[in-house]
Amino acid sequence: MKEITLTINDKQVKGKEGDTVLEICQANGIDVPTLCHLDGLTDVGACRMCVVDIEGERRPVPSCTYPARDGQVVRTDSEHLEKYRRQILELLFTERNHFCMFCEQSGDCELQRLAYRYQMDNVRYPYHFPSLPVDTLSDHLVIEHNRCVLCGRCIRTCNEIAANFTLDFGGRGWQTMVVADLDQPVSESSCTSCGACVQACPTGAIFSRLSAYRGVPSECERVTTVCPACGVGCKLDVLVKDNNIVRIEAPALTSPKGPLCKEGRFGLLPQTRSRVTSPLVRGKHGRLEECSLDTAAEAVAKALKDSKDSFGGIASPQLPSETLAMFNTFMREAVGSDLIDTIDGDSCRVISEGIRQFGGNGKGLDVECPIEVILEADLVLVVGADPDRTNPIVGNLVRRAVRQKGARLVVVDSSRNVFLLWTDLWLKPREGSEDSVVKGLLRLLIDKGLAAPERLTAELTKSLKQYAAPEVTRATAVDEESLEAAAKLYGEAERAVIVYGQSLLKQNDPSTVTALLNMAEVTENRAGDNLRVISLKPGANSRGAWELGVASRDVRQNGLKGVYLLLGDQKDDDELFEWLKGIDFIAVQASYHSPTTTIADVVLPSPIWAEREGKYVSMDGATQELGRVLEPPEGVPGDQETLQAVSRKLGHELSLSQEVNVGKG
Amino acid sequence: MAKVKVATAWLDCCSGCHMSLLDIDEAIIDLAAVLELTATPITDIKEFPDVDVGIIEGAVSNEHDEHVARDLRAHCKILMVFGDCACFGGIVSMRNLFTTEEILDRYYHTEGTICDNIPSSEDLPPLTKVRPINEVVKVDCYVPGCPPSSKAILYALSELLEGRIPVVPSDIMRFD
Repeated sequence: MKEITLTINDKQVKGKEGDTVLEICQANGIDVPTLCHLDGLTDVGACRMCVVDIEGERRPVPSCTYPARDGQVVRTDSEHLEKYRRQILELLFTERNHFCMFCEQSGDCELQRLAYRYQMDNVRYPYHFPSLPVDTLSDHLVIEHNRCVLCGRCIRTCNEIAANFTLDFGGRGWQTMVVADLDQPVSESSCTSCGACVQACPTGAIFSRLSAYRGVPSECERVTTVCPACGVGCKLDVLVKDNNIVRIEAPALTSPKGPLCKEGRFGLLPQTRSRVTSPLVRGKHGRLEECSLDTAAEAVAKALKDSKDSFGGIASPQLPSETLAMFNTFMREAVGSDLIDTIDGDSCRVISEGIRQFGGNGKGLDVECPIEVILEADLVLVVGADPDRTNPIVGNLVRRAVRQKGARLVVVDSSRNVFLLWTDLWLKPREGSEDSVVKGLLRLLIDKGLAAPERLTAELTKSLKQYAAPEVTRATAVDEESLEAAAKLYGEAERAVIVYGQSLLKQNDPSTVTALLNMAEVTENRAGDNLRVISLKPGANSRGAWELGVASRDVRQNGLKGVYLLLGDQKDDDELFEWLKGIDFIAVQASYHSPTTTIADVVLPSPIWAEREGKYVSMDGATQELGRVLEPPEGVPGDQETLQAVSRKLGHELSLSQEVNVGKG
Repeated sequence: MAKVKVATAWLDCCSGCHMSLLDIDEAIIDLAAVLELTATPITDIKEFPDVDVGIIEGAVSNEHDEHVARDLRAHCKILMVFGDCACFGGIVSMRNLFTTEEILDRYYHTEGTICDNIPSSEDLPPLTKVRPINEVVKVDCYVPGCPPSSKAILYALSELLEGRIPVVPSDIMRFD
């Protein structure tokens, strides 16, 4: 990019061709006030706070949309510009209700800060007092139209960052309003409650009803941690006041993992579920009774000694690697059982077995690519997965690729309306037959000459013998024409990314995973050393658990007598609960009371996500450090301390300071 | 040196700004030495004498308010308005979102206060649209805040005593 030189406020500054005047000012530390500008969003010049004088222009121009040119002479701080800016503020204040004293955002408001900056102690224009509606129907967002300055930051965020296209302007002139879809309440619209607009809004026009009036950022401590809700591993900024979570924000809203989802932004906020704050043991009358940790540990140890070989351990994949490693040691050494698994162990085994059969030079999960690669894709093939539901940021990246980069989207899914209205082609096979479609597509790629011949092996071709298009059509009810279209789209794309997940993994067939990897292999869909294939992992630390060997084998089929369940604050899993009903002895280490704790024989308290320390390995292999956000309530020891107490009763000493090295850096 | 004469008035307001005027801790002792309060709601003197500084809290909300604002303006050299209601309209101006009939009906006929009749008397000044003071009379300086902070109050008063027209600086200006 060509370097250019401008004169701004009599100073020579440098920038690149293609920069706006505002970008060059900001890069050179020249302060220009802004309101509708947000780093990472397209600039629109809506508010006119950033007006500057440019030699040769007859009037002040908005610097955020004005292209910088070599030799330009710019003035940003003259008296008459400051007068215009204050005038704009006064006009904004008169347009709607901008009285701060009862506004949620007061103290954290960009409009207010600008008014202070321009010492706006009076307004020279009559106020409008329009009586605009307030949309309070959503469980998460409140849209207070009276506080809106129509900067459009929420709209651009919804389109460009959340890639959801719910918000837009409705109406004309001074009757313009921010509307959801066709002017519906946001709760009845296509809004996914990701809350990115809450963070983008400069005033109190869109705010979170779960955080409202709980505290302004200046009163809060800000702790950065990793989201425990799924495997993507988004960074969270948690604002804490008096050991209470006030709100959760994205540290970098406009980065690929920036926007956060409903679960990350709102779902983790203070829970209504009741907390386990003391160990409980089933007493004489069959009721759970409070007891000391020592008594509870004794009860678990007794049951463990009684049924040693048929005692299994199941851990939540939301626990940090350190806790999982210790649980591994606890089960294998203290209990003496190798029956250990995670709640999502089945999926992990399908993925890893599929990769093993594929080969991949022994790189294991590293044959797959990081999720950011989706943004560069020109085609996304989603197989047996609903990213919007299980890993919403992956869904977000897919929609961004489709809408912003013109990527095509092909979905193979039997069960749900995955990416409804977004797909170019939707293959809807009979339930449970996605695997045949995948193998049929792989064979079509080869048959139609879309595969690189040097990548083909006789073994591969042989394994696909029974997946000719007519047979696949019979097995899956997907017509040949669609299969061929899908194979053509995938084969002809240059950067095609495959995303697969839960409903495919549920079919428990590693050969489908192998086939997907082969699809990428034979079409040479590589990003660096990785194949453009992504498996969606549900747990925040599924990959860490897998690498630690915790998800080693399926323990649910082993006719167990007893189970040690390390649940933490993970929500109950229906399948697991049904299976637990048939177990004689259940010890559960849980943060909240739940159906599972009601059928347990011993319940041990456990910290929640915000009270833990340790590391997660995200689904693309990055090791990330958790930040401790809250102090646990009294009577709740760390998971490792509890395991240590039980272990002692078994005559085994567990070390608390185990070094764990999984994932990448 | 003669004390600086001050008269104050409260219009449509909650009187919180006057409370804040008294709530400036020990600084009030120094101020008492140089300021003389004449007609104020605190001293309960109704007729404004000629003063150096007039201070108004609250917005203009009826004909009486308008009369008081004009009266004080006529009797003071410098008029300072005090608090968000006087500067901008503030919380009391929320009434402008509705008609006077709706407001009276809501106040006198719905839950909480149920009366048969809305009080009416020729002594009661009719309600008007709520306006900040500068829509009615010329204002010389403004101290926003709901209520103004003691820092802002002290700043404004000391500037006035120094013979300057105060503009509250950004770092101590507050609207809440």
